[in-house]
Amino acid sequence: MLTYIIRRILILIPMAFVICFLVYLGLELTPGDAVSHMINPDAAGSMDPRQLEALRQSLGLGQPFHVRFWSWFTNLIQGNFGYSMSGGVPISNIVATRLPATLELAAVALVFSTVIGSILGVVSALQRGSKTDSVLTVIGMLGVSIPEFFFGLVAILVFALNLGWFPVGGRSMPGYVTLWDRLPHLVMPAMVLSIMLTAGVMRYARSSMLDALSRDFIKTARSKGLPEWRVNVLHGFRVALTPVVVLIGFRLPVLIGGSVIIEQVFQWPGIGNEFISAVRSQDYPVVMTIALLSVMAVLVASLIVDVLTAVIDPRVRLGE
Amino acid sequence: MHMKKLIALGLAALMTTTSISAALSQPINENPLSDPRVRQAIAYAIDMDTIIETIFEGQAVRAIGMLPDGPNKPTDLIHYDYDPDKARALLAEAGWDSSRELDMVYYYTDQATADLMAALQAYLADVGITMNYRLVEGDVASQISVLPDDPVNGPSKVTWDFLYGARAALALQEYFNRYAYGLKPMIPNIPRMNELVAKVNGTTDPEVQREGYFEMEHIINENVYQIPLYYQQLYTYESDRLHRNDAPYGNEQYNYNWGVENWTIDPDSAGKGVLYTNAGPAQFFEVPWQNLGIWVQNKFAFDTVLEADGSLTPIGGEMADTYEVSEDGLTFTFTLKDGLTWHDGEPITTEDIIWSIGAAAKYPVTHPVLQSTFKKIEGSEAFISGEAETLAGVTAEGNTITIKFSTLDPNVLLTFSQFAPLPSKHFDGVDPVTLQQAPFWQKPIGSGPFMIDEVVMNDYTTLVPFEGYHKGTPKIEQIIARPSSDNDGNLIVNAQAAKADFGYTKVAGDVPALEALDFMNVYPIDIPYTRMLWINQFPHPTN
Repeated sequence: MLTYIIRRILILIPMAFVICFLVYLGLELTPGDAVSHMINPDAAGSMDPRQLEALRQSLGLGQPFHVRFWSWFTNLIQGNFGYSMSGGVPISNIVATRLPATLELAAVALVFSTVIGSILGVVSALQRGSKTDSVLTVIGMLGVSIPEFFFGLVAILVFALNLGWFPVGGRSMPGYVTLWDRLPHLVMPAMVLSIMLTAGVMRYARSSMLDALSRDFIKTARSKGLPEWRVNVLHGFRVALTPVVVLIGFRLPVLIGGSVIIEQVFQWPGIGNEFISAVRSQDYPVVMTIALLSVMAVLVASLIVDVLTAVIDPRVRLGE
Repeated sequence: MHMKKLIALGLAALMTTTSISAALSQPINENPLSDPRVRQAIAYAIDMDTIIETIFEGQAVRAIGMLPDGPNKPTDLIHYDYDPDKARALLAEAGWDSSRELDMVYYYTDQATADLMAALQAYLADVGITMNYRLVEGDVASQISVLPDDPVNGPSKVTWDFLYGARAALALQEYFNRYAYGLKPMIPNIPRMNELVAKVNGTTDPEVQREGYFEMEHIINENVYQIPLYYQQLYTYESDRLHRNDAPYGNEQYNYNWGVENWTIDPDSAGKGVLYTNAGPAQFFEVPWQNLGIWVQNKFAFDTVLEADGSLTPIGGEMADTYEVSEDGLTFTFTLKDGLTWHDGEPITTEDIIWSIGAAAKYPVTHPVLQSTFKKIEGSEAFISGEAETLAGVTAEGNTITIKFSTLDPNVLLTFSQFAPLPSKHFDGVDPVTLQQAPFWQKPIGSGPFMIDEVVMNDYTTLVPFEGYHKGTPKIEQIIARPSSDNDGNLIVNAQAAKADFGYTKVAGDVPALEALDFMNVYPIDIPYTRMLWINQFPHPTN
């Protein structure tokens, strides 16, 4: 297994390089640059093109594409993420302040959706065909089908504006020190972010549990006289867990990148919000760093899923 | 070819006389949009009154002429009231080819603009003009502002037929300055307009300027060189908790005598006077020379040299105790008030002011009106190019600064009423070209009534009163600014949650929602911001 993991890690590097190059190329092909986004179009004709060119040169935008990419990449290898073109902030600072906000949101959503989704999926499978199963199936369908921003707006309307239980947005307020202080801000975005995940995990857990329960080893376990809970939990659920782990593993990077909408709706100062802002202003060093983080998250999550699958399911042999 | 150029030159010269231009009524080149009858027909074809009532929910004012209403706009301009029959007749007279497809571009991404495009398309189709529209993105300037090599005959380097955009002017000259020779991407040169642009920029006499504005308005109006559509309004909103205590209202996008130090706010449940607003920074505070007062925290945190009233007319000194402009308009002198300090307690010095003027001249995205003033200072060209280390035209003696201009600038006082100096010692080694990239902008030190206290980028920023502010310590105890862009997408939600006590919006759709809140007061403010259609009258590749 160790050899397999090392091999996979070594493959990550060229894969990340190629993906980053493609993202960089995409940015290059987008019309305009960081300087053109600093100018209000209404005033575009009134600016001095010579001074704008001087700004472009100062920001390194005058260099050819391949030189800029290579410069970015070599700096990255040396641990230098560069600076934001818009505001000159070190990108390491941006990541250090924004990523924890996103991870906080994603972690709560992931834990909540995994626990609740798995439990509801198993209950639904064990009560197949019952009213409970039907209700949970419908709820699951709704959760998967309705976009997150809609749930977000409804949650703000009901729980923040009408009931006044939670703030409408933001992560904190002056004077907040601990996570407990910030908890009211976290609840709504985390719950809304977890709705679609919970529904997905629930549906996956249900079908995977049903599949496991129909296997021969379950019949064997029952015929041996084991208690029903032991059959379901230790034999059925353990096997059913494998595809659910795969799903959850792949959801982790999606959560990091995919909370963009939630961050916008709830004014959450996370990396997704920063990414949108950087793309709009064609701040390519910021875009590239966040893209790289997402790429690495996907690739690492994929590796972790493979390893976990092998740990959970003895039938899986890595590297064979 | 020479004869063709001569004819075009002759026609362009004749077009400068408004009485002749109406009689001319024929194209000046192969582009049918160079025919004034076609342009007039387009103006008659658009029902702006209905568009304003429906798409803009009544939150705009139909534009008659380029300038906003006021003493500098003539009252006898042609209104071009909606008249599709007249439009069809003019098109028939001009021999309009109805199979021709026109290309409209725009750069605003809001829904109202998309709706407006669809409405304009329908109105034009009704009179027999086919128009398709598209959004320009990326480097907008290179797609809308690139100039032709030949400003008389073209061809244009822009490929569109119509551009929907705006002129948001700090100085009225800005409405017309691009009519100067060689500065119009889409309109063949109009010699009389060149003279008039020089006239309004070459004097500080308001009467002479007014004559120029009147004549330029008439020329544009009668020949429909552009089609003004509507004047955008700005809406200031305030919660019932906030009391301005008779402080005036004005154009919130700029600096004016808003008297914020005298504002009060009802205490919250904890007994603290906290004002909530928006437009806080997401990643950095913007240099206050670019968009002037658009970001409200800059107005809270920075004083300007002079002070303007709500209509942006300079009325006195802010950091300056006294000031004067010489009779020939070429020398501006002002003396700083005694005892002024930055928020960190350091004294505000003439060196700070001189450094700031030089840096603003070099900073590439300084507001065009300020840039124009600073570039007329003696020695500015050598300073900006790096040939000179200092700005020769700016000197100091004691607390008095003297600025000498090589050519007259009509907006010197206006510029200094919007210009916020910065503490130079925080910019040691910083190239003014990349001023925005300086660490200073993570938590700037200003000179205004409120100091920036706590900054959690993209979450909130707090400001607290500057004890000992020269106009009196502000009475509001704390300001909390949530981050937002110019158009705050979360404004209504925050307002409903009582987290927006003060701010402004230009989004017409926000206004009814704000007005529906029984604790919110909304005040429409007339601002010099005209939305219009530019018409490409040059021959161009897609003709």
